[in-house]
This record gives sequence, structure tokens and C-alpha cells, in this order.
Amino acid sequence: MDNTAFKKNKYDILVVGGGHAGCEAALVASRMGFSVLVITMTINDIAGMPCNPAIGGLAKGQLVREIDALGGEMGRVIDETGIQFKMLNKSKGPAVWSPRAQADKKTYHERMLKALREQRGLDIVEAEATGIIVESGRVVSVEINGGEKISAERVILALGTFPNGLMHIGEKKIPGGRRGEPPARGLTNQLASMGFEKRRLKTGTPPRLKKETVDFSKCEPQPGDHNPSPFSFRTTGIDREQILCYVTHTNKFVHELITRNIDRAPIYSGQIEGTGPRYCPSIEDKVVRFSEKERHQLFLEPEGLESEEIYVNGLATSLPVDIQEEMIKHIRGLEDASIVKYGYAIEYDFFPPHQIYSSLESKRVKGLYFAGQVNGTSGYEEAAAQGIMAGINASLALRGESPLILRRNQAYIGVLIDDLVTKDIDEPYRMFTSRAEYRLLLRQDNADERLLKYAVRYGLLPKEQWKEGIKRRKRVIRAGIRLSGETITKDICNKALKEVGGKEVGEAKRAGDLLSRPEVELSMLEKYLPDGPLKLSGREKRSLEIRAKYSGYIKRQGKMAERFIKMDMMKIPQNFSYMDIGALSMEAREKMEKFKPETLGQASRLAGVRAADLSIIMVMLEKGRKEKRG
Amino acid sequence: MGEKTIVALGTPPGESAIAVVRLSGGEAVAIADRMMDGAKSWESHQTHKRIIKDHNGEAVDDVIAVVMRGPNSYTGEDIVEISCHGSMHIVSAVIEEAMWLGAVVAPPGEFTKRAFLNGKIDLAQAEAVADLISSETKLQRSVALKHLTGGLSKRVRKIEEKLLTQLSLVEISIDFSTEEIETYSNGELTEASRWIRKELEELIGSKVAGRKLRNGIKITLSGPRNAGKSSIYNMLLGEERAIVSHIPGTTRDILRERIHINGFTYYLEDTAGIAEAESEIEAKGISVGIEAAAAADMVLFVIDGSVEPGERVYELAERLNIKRKMIVINKKDLGLKVGRKEVQKITGADSVIEVSALTSEGFDELRKWIYSNTVSLEIGKIVKEKIAINLRQAVALKRTMEALGRMEEGVSAGQPAEILSIELREAAAACGEITGRSISDDLLGNIFSKFCVGK
Repeated sequence: MDNTAFKKNKYDILVVGGGHAGCEAALVASRMGFSVLVITMTINDIAGMPCNPAIGGLAKGQLVREIDALGGEMGRVIDETGIQFKMLNKSKGPAVWSPRAQADKKTYHERMLKALREQRGLDIVEAEATGIIVESGRVVSVEINGGEKISAERVILALGTFPNGLMHIGEKKIPGGRRGEPPARGLTNQLASMGFEKRRLKTGTPPRLKKETVDFSKCEPQPGDHNPSPFSFRTTGIDREQILCYVTHTNKFVHELITRNIDRAPIYSGQIEGTGPRYCPSIEDKVVRFSEKERHQLFLEPEGLESEEIYVNGLATSLPVDIQEEMIKHIRGLEDASIVKYGYAIEYDFFPPHQIYSSLESKRVKGLYFAGQVNGTSGYEEAAAQGIMAGINASLALRGESPLILRRNQAYIGVLIDDLVTKDIDEPYRMFTSRAEYRLLLRQDNADERLLKYAVRYGLLPKEQWKEGIKRRKRVIRAGIRLSGETITKDICNKALKEVGGKEVGEAKRAGDLLSRPEVELSMLEKYLPDGPLKLSGREKRSLEIRAKYSGYIKRQGKMAERFIKMDMMKIPQNFSYMDIGALSMEAREKMEKFKPETLGQASRLAGVRAADLSIIMVMLEKGRKEKRG
Repeated sequence: MGEKTIVALGTPPGESAIAVVRLSGGEAVAIADRMMDGAKSWESHQTHKRIIKDHNGEAVDDVIAVVMRGPNSYTGEDIVEISCHGSMHIVSAVIEEAMWLGAVVAPPGEFTKRAFLNGKIDLAQAEAVADLISSETKLQRSVALKHLTGGLSKRVRKIEEKLLTQLSLVEISIDFSTEEIETYSNGELTEASRWIRKELEELIGSKVAGRKLRNGIKITLSGPRNAGKSSIYNMLLGEERAIVSHIPGTTRDILRERIHINGFTYYLEDTAGIAEAESEIEAKGISVGIEAAAAADMVLFVIDGSVEPGERVYELAERLNIKRKMIVINKKDLGLKVGRKEVQKITGADSVIEVSALTSEGFDELRKWIYSNTVSLEIGKIVKEKIAINLRQAVALKRTMEALGRMEEGVSAGQPAEILSIELREAAAACGEITGRSISDDLLGNIFSKFCVGK
């Protein structure tokens, strides 16, 4: 196939960037019936993984499940190309379980590229976007390779770490978006000249080792789950063979080596100005800041079934190559390992997201959307989540409909975007379950329950794909109703409870009440149901069980959420002039002028805005309404 | 917002004869109804004489309540105005009771804001409403800051730090479970929670202290007849009389009045007087007086200094079985026949003061003595801190305590981290209402700076 050809010079939507955000944006928009062109610098890097070869993880797994429920591709692709699946936090309550999988980087890329290529209405062009053309405040076209212009009403920027990317390995600085690739300069600088504020962030990646030179027998093997749970509600099962990962550790020698050479680390020599993520520190950072720790855990993760590369998770570094060589040599199991690619740190520009609405459309230029790392986030899943939302909202705008804004109690995606538009981003933003105040509502097991309705309403998925999902939800709900109505006699209750060592009851109980006890499992309880076992799959049973066990807390969080939803329903016009309201505190005025909150709820989440400021805004909003009414 | 029933003091703060507590919102009448025992009807725009009881069934005060049903009220919502006696502790108790039943303390300018939003204030005044909210907030903040200085603020911050540490450890077990770092342990979590609850209990004050606050600290006047006890009693009431409420004594033989000294409330008791005679009836009187004195927090034993006190008087003074004993030598104006030192030596009193109930000489010293003794008493310490904590703060601390109580139950029931986290966050959020700090915003920062997380 000719990679540079595109069929026309006018599309409904242009997506600049073919990473995780770009792919989801392009796919969902074309599924919604629009013609889409993906502009990428290298087709070989479509859905690439420049950092660790894994999808999902704590809180990120929930994001993938949500993307999937919205008809996204990430879940299905990882289900088909994952080489080790693991449900994290299994020892914790089910609300915080998170699926994670090691990805085969190459097949992941191929499978995603296939999805793009097979998607009707979606074209790909290998080119560099060098300019955005704006007329009277709206985007009209994108210039590629410094010449040709392609028109579109909506443009989604999913540029990743390419904007003014600068890589650091020791004292060496290499301009580039990632290893071996040139940075994107023209576009970012043009956006800056249009008045977009940009700032700098930093992230890093560890060295990759040659697989056959690693002595895995000296490392501790880490197997995946016996019964892998798929990410996608559309995947029926995973029965591929799974690989092992391994764990080894750094040691005193390595730490001393780093300490001795710390002045050669760009983050300490002052060579790097961008802020790196505190949750993903480089090894030199860990050694300096936590000098009391004698060793740090390293995960050896294969980059694919056929791949010759091993990713050393935990050893992100920008130390010079000779130090990297020396470090590796002194780590157990890696004594003879050869480095295929050195670790590096990368600085890049991002556009602080107070410049976008929660629809991800920019406030400055109509029709222009920002998604992924350009908004200051980190992670494939965070990027994909924004990509799918940008794709949905660009399409809805073309349909003349209002955007889909997920609330904080509906999805991690909602938490993510709401945080972006209400918080100062000082480091790459990564999702954590602790960012969600309604964590018990946002579980990986109920993502489709929460979001599938939007996939149905907006046509994000063909009917044959959501039909089964909806049926499954209905089965679970019906079973729940059945359990709450079905009474089990006292004797049978006690027989069942005896089996699990539970406390006896003095009277007959409803099956639902029994299930809410921590010790009672549905698989056991089912045997004692007067109307016979439930006709549910394992996954459906699990989902029913979680609802029953958490029901009290779920209700409590639901109530809390109701209160804040009211605030989120109160809209604040964008032309609302905060600076003129003398009664507002100065700090509140400045914050609100900068973030221009879309709702009173968003205003309430800005740091420095107090309850009194919200009261004052309510009064002034009412004044505005009354004046309008006359 | 705009829907919770709010409660606030409607009259200026400080001691006064009558104070008005105002409730506004959908639940206002229901809350008033539950607070006031024996309520039968709540006709709008009529006065209703009621007794407020607290949730333990103890009477708080006799009040007059007026209901104004919306939209014909100042805010446009249902309003209940409760006129109670003006003691700070009664006002606190009334507001606290309303909060117990679901009302929230009105944020600054809230009544006016609601009036505006409900179209009760005309459009031209919008800016004035906004300014009012702003100025009341500034005032409240400066008051709150004043309260938050010194010991109290240090203690609340320490509680917050402990909560943050425990919450971080709990969250680490969820968000960083794949890393080799320490997380919470049930033992330490419970221990920290118990420590905090104990600390809070002290801050909020024990139940006994709470009752003392409402009823006042008891001072009994004791001593022989004709020593001028009643004159001293009246003198102490003297200037207070105009601003104190009169509460009739429950015991016929004992007169009780409330007095206020430097912000403390006292129950001043004038016992029937201990007679010097030897008759049986009089002997009974003596024992009543001695009993009353024994139950008091402080006793003022009054003697007539214009005459040489007899052996019997000294004996009585000595026999008083009390912690703090003060001898007041009265009738200084008539020339004293007995000296301070002599009396102190014979009776073993903590201190002796010479006064004249006629000329008021020595009364400033007497009040000072009462105050400084209150502060040095255990009850005084609690009262002082309780005064430092305003009601909103006390309610917030109570919420912290309750959440921690539930968390401890969760720990013993084997609840997982994400459930314990809910209660810890609730506890921290309540604390944050006092300090203005949002622990959930600090959480990740704290984890990143104190724990080696991240691969």
C-alpha cells in the first residue's frame, strides 16, 4: 500500500498523530460516520510503545475498560496481542482490581494498524503536519510537509512527545520525539505564536537488553494469571500461551556508582529544565532521594514473543552510556547482558490544558482539539482515553450536538479530563485510583454498565457488538432482583453459612442479604437457592457479587455524588467577567480567569476558590439571568 | 447548594438577654419540631412558646419560636426564628441541636444570598449581596484564625498529619501495590485512630464538661448567718443583672443565678445560710449548706469581719470538705476586727479576701480570684479550649471522630483498604473544614515525597 497517498484534500476530521490518542480518535470518528485522515510521521509507529510494553495496570486498567465500553479499540487489541495477563490488586476488594497485560509491541502495532486500515472512511498519510490554518477563529485546514493543505472542520492534535522533543543521554542532547525520530517543531512553534501557552515536561525510559544475554535463572519468575480476564467486553476468552516476566534488584554497588556519577545525570546537572513525574522517578532520582533503601525492584519484561528485547522496568535513566553499561553489569542476572538501546530522558512541550474545554476543544481556536500527551498527561491509556473523547466530541460537534462530558462519578475518563481542566499540571499527569473520589462506583467490572449506553446512543459501536453487552447487564440486574426477592429458610441459611464458617442466623433470610456478607460467595450460595442456580457466566456472577457486597458504600458514594452533580449542572458562561467582581477574593479571580470554568462544579474544584467565592458567583449568575429576562 | 437547611445566630454575638437563632430551608420546620418538645402546631407568623430539649432529652431552654413559611419570608424559604436566652452556651446548645438534626451552619451571607436567589431582594442590590458575602467571610476567617493560633491549631494540625500519613499508607496499598514499600497495618491504623479520637474528645470536651458549660460552673456561697452572704451574692450579680437570665432555683432553700466573668458562665448559689446555733433544726440547715458546698466547683465562705468570729465559725470553715476554699471577710467598711493572715492560718483556706458588699471594695479582686481559679481547675481548661473552638469547628471535629469510629469498626470487621479509605477521607475532609487544608489534594504529593514509589 502506498503510505503517502490520501484520496482527497478535504476530510471531515483530521487527526494529527498516530499514537494511542490518535488511533482511538480516528477510529471512533469514522465509526460515527465521518471521513477521517490520520497524519503521522511514520506509519511504522502507529500505536507504538516507546516506553514499557504493557497496557493497563492500576487505575489504567479501568481506563482501558472504559475506552472499550465506549467502543474503543485498545481493549480488543491488547486482548488479541497480550502475552501475559494479570489482574492486579486481587488481594484487595474488587473495586480496585485492575487488569494489566504485557503487550507484544510489534503485533500490537500491526493489529491496531489493521483496524485503522480496515475502517471505512479512514485514511492514513505519512507526513509531517507543519501548520494549522485558522480563519476567523476556526480551524480550516492543516498544512503538511510545509506545502499542501488539507481542509477539515475539525482537527485533533495528538502529537505525543514530539513537540520540540529533546532527548538526553548523559551529556549528550539529541533533538527528537523518541528514539530515532525527528521532533515536530513547526507546528508547536506556530501554535505558540497563535497565543497558545506551552510549557515543558520531562519523562524517561530505561535501557533495553538483548534477551539471550540475560540469565533469567538468577531472577525470580513472575507468571501471569491462570485464567486471564479480557479487557474488552467483546472478547469471549483468552487462551493464548503466556510468557513469564522476571524480577531482579539493584544493589549497593549500583547505588554507589550512581551517587559517584550523579553530576553526569542531566536531571542533576541542570541540563534538563522540564519537570519529570514524581511517580515514575529515574533510578538516579530514587537513589538520591531515598538513599536509605538498599535495593530497588526491577521487572524484566519481554517486548514481545519474537522480540529480542527485554525492557528493564524500574531502571529509567538518563545517565551516560558508560554508566548504564556499568550499572547493568553489576545487577544480578544481567552480568553478561548487552544493552540494545540505552535509556534516555526526553523533554517536550505540552499545552497546559486550562486552554481546553472539557470537550477537549481548545478555547482559543474553534474546531481544534487537543488529546494525549500534548495536554500534559503520561501513559498510553490516558492518551487513548482523551483520544476517544476528542473523536466523539469532534463528531458530535459536526452533527450539531452538544459534547459528551463524562462526570467524575461516571468514569475515570471523567476524572482525568476534569482534573486536566481544573488543575495546574506541574508534572506528567497519570491516573491513580486515589484521584477518584467515587472509587467504588468506578470499577473495572462495571465499565460497560456505566458507559455502554453512550456507545449505543451515539452509534459508537455496531449493534451486533453492543447487543450482547446489554443483554449481559440485563441478566445481572434481573438476577439481582431475583436474589433480593428470594427467601431462604433459616435451616438452609445455616447450612450454607456453616459451609463457610459464617455466624448462624435466627430466621429466614433473603438471598441478597446473605450475599452481602463478606464470607458468602455466590458460587456457594447458588446451591441453596430455592428456585435453582442463576443462569449467569462467571463474569456476570462476579459483577452481581460485587454489587451485593459493596451495596451500602455504593449507595453512600452515590448520594455524595448527587450533591456535586447539582453544582456541575450550573453552567457559567465563558464570557463571565471575574475581574469585575470586587467581592471575589483576588486568588479566586485569577484562578477563574485562567481556567474559565464551564460549571460551578468545576469552579469549586479550582485550588484557592472558596465556598464564599462560589456563593458570590451564584449571585452574579442570577443577576445576569434576571437582567436577560428583563 | 441552596437546599440544605441552614442555621445561624441572628442577633449580634456575645452575651445578651435574648438571642435569636434562625433556621431557613425546606427542613426548618421539621427540625424545629423535633427540637421542641410538646410542639403541636406550627401556624405561620404566630409565636409558639416551647421548651428545647437536646437529643439526650435534657432541657436546654424555654424559648419563643416563630415560623414563617415560604415564600412569605425573608429568604423565600421556610424560616423558624427561635428566641432563646442570650447566654453563649445556650445559643451554642440550640444551634448544635439544630445541626444534630441535619441543619448546617449558614455560610457567610447565606441568608441574604438565598433571599436574592429567591427574588426577595431586588436586582440592583446584587453587588451589595456579593459584598456582604465577601465581608462576612473575611470577618469569619479572621475570627477563625484567631481561634486557630497556639495550642489548638498545633493539635489540629498534628491530627491532620496523622490522618494524612495513615491515608497515604492505605492508598499506597491500593495504588502502588506492586511495589516493595511499606503500607498500612491494621494495628497501627487503629492505634493512630484511637490516639486521634482521644485527642479530639479532649478538644471537644467531655460530656460532663459539656453539661457544665450549659449549666455553668457552680459557686456556692456558704457561711454563718448575718455575715452578709446575700449582699455579696447581690453584689456579684449587681451589674450582671441587666444581661443575665434569671433561672429559678430548683431547691427552695437555694437561690441560683447565672453570672459571667471573663466569658465563663457560673451558677451562683446562695445557700440558706449555716446557722451558728445548736438547735436541731438549725443543725439540719448546717448539713444542707455543707452538702451544697461539697457539690460546688468552688466555695466562698463568708464571715463577718466587723466582729470577732467565734470558735464555731472557724470550726465550720475548717470542716468544709472542698477542693478550693476561699474565705471572704465582709464588712470591711465597718472596720475589721480580724486580719487576713490570721483567718488563713486558722482555717487553712486557699486564700482570704477582704471586701465590703456595701462599698464594693475588693470585688474586682474577688472576680479575678474566681476567674483564675476557674482556669486552673480541670473544668476550666476544657472550658477554655471549648471556647476557643467555635461551634462549626466542634461539629467538624465531631464528624472526624465519627468517621474514625466507623473506620475502626471496619478494621475489626476485616474491611478492605478502599473501604477504610472512605472513612479516613471523610475524617480528613471534616478536619480540613477547620484548617482550610484539603488532604485529598495533598495526598499524592505526600506519597511521592515520602515514599519511594514508581518504576
